[in-house]
Amino acid sequence: MSTYSLPYTDPKPLGAADFYYAINATFSHVRSRYGAAGLLDYWRGLGRDYQHDVWERWRVGGLPAVAEYWIAFFGHEPGGSVEVRTDVDAVVLDVRECPAISHLRRGDRDILDIFCHHCAVMGDAAAEQAGLAIRIVGGNGRCVQVCTVREGTPPQDPRVISLCAEPAERPGAEANAPVGEA
Amino acid sequence: MLGVYDFNGHYDWTFAWLEARGGDEALRDYWVNAISRDSQAHARMEFARGFAGMSDYWGHTLAEEGAGYTSGQTESLSGKPVFRLDMQECPSKGFLLRNGLDAGTDYCDHCIGWVGPAMADAGFVVDHEHDHAAHCWWEIRPIDDQTPPSAAGELGPEDVRLRYDWAAGRVDRFGRTMDPRDND
Repeated sequence: MSTYSLPYTDPKPLGAADFYYAINATFSHVRSRYGAAGLLDYWRGLGRDYQHDVWERWRVGGLPAVAEYWIAFFGHEPGGSVEVRTDVDAVVLDVRECPAISHLRRGDRDILDIFCHHCAVMGDAAAEQAGLAIRIVGGNGRCVQVCTVREGTPPQDPRVISLCAEPAERPGAEANAPVGEA
Repeated sequence: MLGVYDFNGHYDWTFAWLEARGGDEALRDYWVNAISRDSQAHARMEFARGFAGMSDYWGHTLAEEGAGYTSGQTESLSGKPVFRLDMQECPSKGFLLRNGLDAGTDYCDHCIGWVGPAMADAGFVVDHEHDHAAHCWWEIRPIDDQTPPSAAGELGPEDVRLRYDWAAGRVDRFGRTMDPRDND
C-alpha cells in the first residue's frame, strides 16, 4: 500500500463484521441521549478529529489519495461490493452493496433510520479539512459518493439521502437506485 | 463510512466524546444500554446458555478479531465449575497500542462495562484483571458460587498472570462485579 492508503495498520485481514452492530447501536444511543444535533456533532467530530490522519493524507495527496484510501478501506471491510473510479476532477465511489447495511440486515437489527447520513456528514467534515467535498446520492444500502475539490461547496443536506427505514435494499433493486443529484 | 477495520480506534474516540459530555455516568450508560443490551444482544443470547454459550461466543468473536487467547470451562480447587478466559494478545487494545491511539479514557474498562451487566442478567459474576498492555483474565462463576478468584497459575499454565510481560504494577482489578466503577 502507498503512503496515501490507510493511516493505521493491523495484522487481521478484515474487520469483524459484528462491530457494525456496535456502530449502529452507538448512533442510536447518541441520538437518544443528545438529540439529532448531538448526533450531527458526533459525526462531525469523527470526521474532523478522529479522521485527522485520513484527511491529512487527502490534503497532501488530493483526489488520488482519496481514491487510494477508499480502495484500501473497502478492501479491509467484510462483505459488500464497491467500485472506485477516478475521473479528471472527481473520485466516484459506487457502493453497490454496503457492507454495513448488509450485515445489519442479515443480523435482523433495527437500523437507525438515518444511519446512512453519517457517510455524508462525517465524510464531508473530513473532506472539508482537506479542501475537498463529498456528495452522496442514494443510501439505504446502495449509493454513489462523489469527492471533488471543494471550491466553496456548502455541506450537503443529509436529508436527501434515503432513510434505512425504507424498504430493505436488494442490490440492483429499483426502489433503492440512486434518487438523483442532491 | 465508519468502518470496522479500525473500529477500536473510533470506539476509543467515542468513549472520550461521551465522557466529555456526561462523565463516567455517560460512559456507563453507553456500555450498559448501547453496547451490552443493543449491540451485544447476540452475545447475551449465548451467555444465557451458560458456559457452552460463552465458549461459542468467544470462540467465534475472538477468532474473527484475530485474538491470541485461551478459554473454556474448568474446575476450581473446590471442584466447582468456572469459565476462564486468558487474553494473551487483546486485538482491541492491541490495535490502539500498535497505532499509537489513546483518546484519554481507560479503554479496557469497556469490556467489564458491557460483559459485567450481561453476565449478571444471565446469572453469573465476574472476577477480572487487565494490565492495560493487551493482557487480561476473566473468571466467570454462577452467582451463588462464592469461590474466590484463583491464584496465578492455579487453573493452568496459560494463566496470563504468568507471562513475563504481565504488567502487574498497572493492573485494574474487578471482584465479583458487573460495574466498571467497582475497580478494587
